[in-house]
Amino acid sequence: MRIDILCKVVDNFGDIGFVYRLARALSELGAGIELRLIVDDLSAFHAIFPGVDPTKDLQVLGTWTILSWGLPSELVRMERPRIVLECFACGRPDWYEDILFDPSDSERRTILSVEHLTAEPWAVEFHRLVSATRSALVRKWMFMPGFQAGTGGLIAEKGLEARIASWRDPASRPRLRLELAGSAGVALPLAAEDSYWLTVFSYEHDYSRIVSELADFASTRPLLVLVAAGRSSVCFVDAWRGAGEAFPIVKLPFLDQESWDEFLLASDFAIVRGEDSVARAALCGLPFLWHAYLQDGAHQVVKVRALLDRMWPHFGEGDFARYEELSIAFNDRLEDKPSVRGEESIISLLHRDLEIKEGFRAFSGELRQLGNLAANLVTFLGEIV
Amino acid sequence: MLMTSDIRGGTVFKSGDDVVVVQRMLGIKAGRAGQVKKLRVKNILTGQTSELGLDMGEKFEEVHLDFHKMKLSYVDGDTYIFMDQESFEQYELSKEDLGDNVGYITPEDDFEVEVAFYDEKPVSVTLPTAIVRTITYCEPGIKGDTSGKTQKPATLDTGIQVSVPLFCEIGTKIKLDTRDGSFIERVK
Repeated sequence: MRIDILCKVVDNFGDIGFVYRLARALSELGAGIELRLIVDDLSAFHAIFPGVDPTKDLQVLGTWTILSWGLPSELVRMERPRIVLECFACGRPDWYEDILFDPSDSERRTILSVEHLTAEPWAVEFHRLVSATRSALVRKWMFMPGFQAGTGGLIAEKGLEARIASWRDPASRPRLRLELAGSAGVALPLAAEDSYWLTVFSYEHDYSRIVSELADFASTRPLLVLVAAGRSSVCFVDAWRGAGEAFPIVKLPFLDQESWDEFLLASDFAIVRGEDSVARAALCGLPFLWHAYLQDGAHQVVKVRALLDRMWPHFGEGDFARYEELSIAFNDRLEDKPSVRGEESIISLLHRDLEIKEGFRAFSGELRQLGNLAANLVTFLGEIV
Repeated sequence: MLMTSDIRGGTVFKSGDDVVVVQRMLGIKAGRAGQVKKLRVKNILTGQTSELGLDMGEKFEEVHLDFHKMKLSYVDGDTYIFMDQESFEQYELSKEDLGDNVGYITPEDDFEVEVAFYDEKPVSVTLPTAIVRTITYCEPGIKGDTSGKTQKPATLDTGIQVSVPLFCEIGTKIKLDTRDGSFIERVK
């Protein structure tokens, strides 16, 4: 089965991160799946998967053929598209559109519109919904990733369960952390492998109150904050300096996706942004605070509330109330910038470390029961193609 | 070509080999690259209805339609009878064919609508984008709140419910956008 995956990079590395993860998970299914990835920003792809050469318009990596969005491909003209995954309503390059809708092609073509991840109830309504195109031979359906039964679920690669189990083992965790830091070229402070690890990867935000509370928290137990490269880095470090550098931090270099996934697994808590990282944190049972992508009219709050609605059954009443308050306060804004004062309080939640870990793990168990999105997608294709 | 963003209640377009008319917008949601829409459509050729999901990336062939200006003459059960204002001929459309538009028109209205004909049969109605209706019920108005940011439900003289600003009262005439039922302004 040959599947074309179309991807336009809009939001930094979230789109390509999802596509890379999906491609990996599809390939792991075997079943003769051959992938062609048509991507508009090969540099972004290279950043998260260094195997990709950003200068080549056509390259073959194992069972993947990677094509540049911008350059008409003779290969696609020769081996016409039959199954297309259109990610996040990215559309299609004009040259690809011409081939896909070529009236002389008498074979059926199938498009799945793979939408963005949302916990809102409409994900269930739209999942597997018939869509339409202008050609009777090009059929289209909607496919929704999601956090609830009735959606396509989340992407879970082979071996994830085992990796989660080994990271959760207190006996092996410090050693794994040291190995991970070593392989990523990250110098850890002395004995930091035994500390409470909090990872920060968000959009721009005023971190002054959170940093002040982390300083208090650090007086009760050893803390290490891992600051991911990107938009939140300067904001966090400025706030940390402003608070007298009261706890150790490590600035992470830009990491490829596999290393980033491991740092998430190595963390005790993470502030994550976008969709790919929040999906990952949720699936792995990592306690997280989600910084949702800013939308018109603060619509991101609707998305955050929808996720909270999925999560609350797994938490005690008091813990959930604290988590809900924190999540809404962090996200309820019209602009993401450090001059918008951050009023949220995180410390009471961190002090409930063991209890909230249980809640996040229970939520992750529910998510993993939804099955692997890649397998769900192939099953659906088997029903419609 | 018709883009997904052009599609609304009453739009007729080619979906594959079929010609469909949008009866109802069942949901418009914020997708990643714009809206995703769920529609109820009727196949004009077979009469079958179905649900469709559309993202923003698709283009559709427009269908050649003839449009005639008409007024809603009267309603008989679930049948709406429109009269051509030039020929005085009458045409019937079912309540189902009118879809969401039912909530915006009554025989007492003095505005005209456009009735679309496909293969000489009436298939859908396009309303003026903005129309004026009267509120028949809502909670008492709050004077001084003219921002319009906070809204409350109100029942219109056609029987449908829409959201209106807090300052509106029973008897207030309001201008509405018929594409999504949103409040535009109070009419004096």
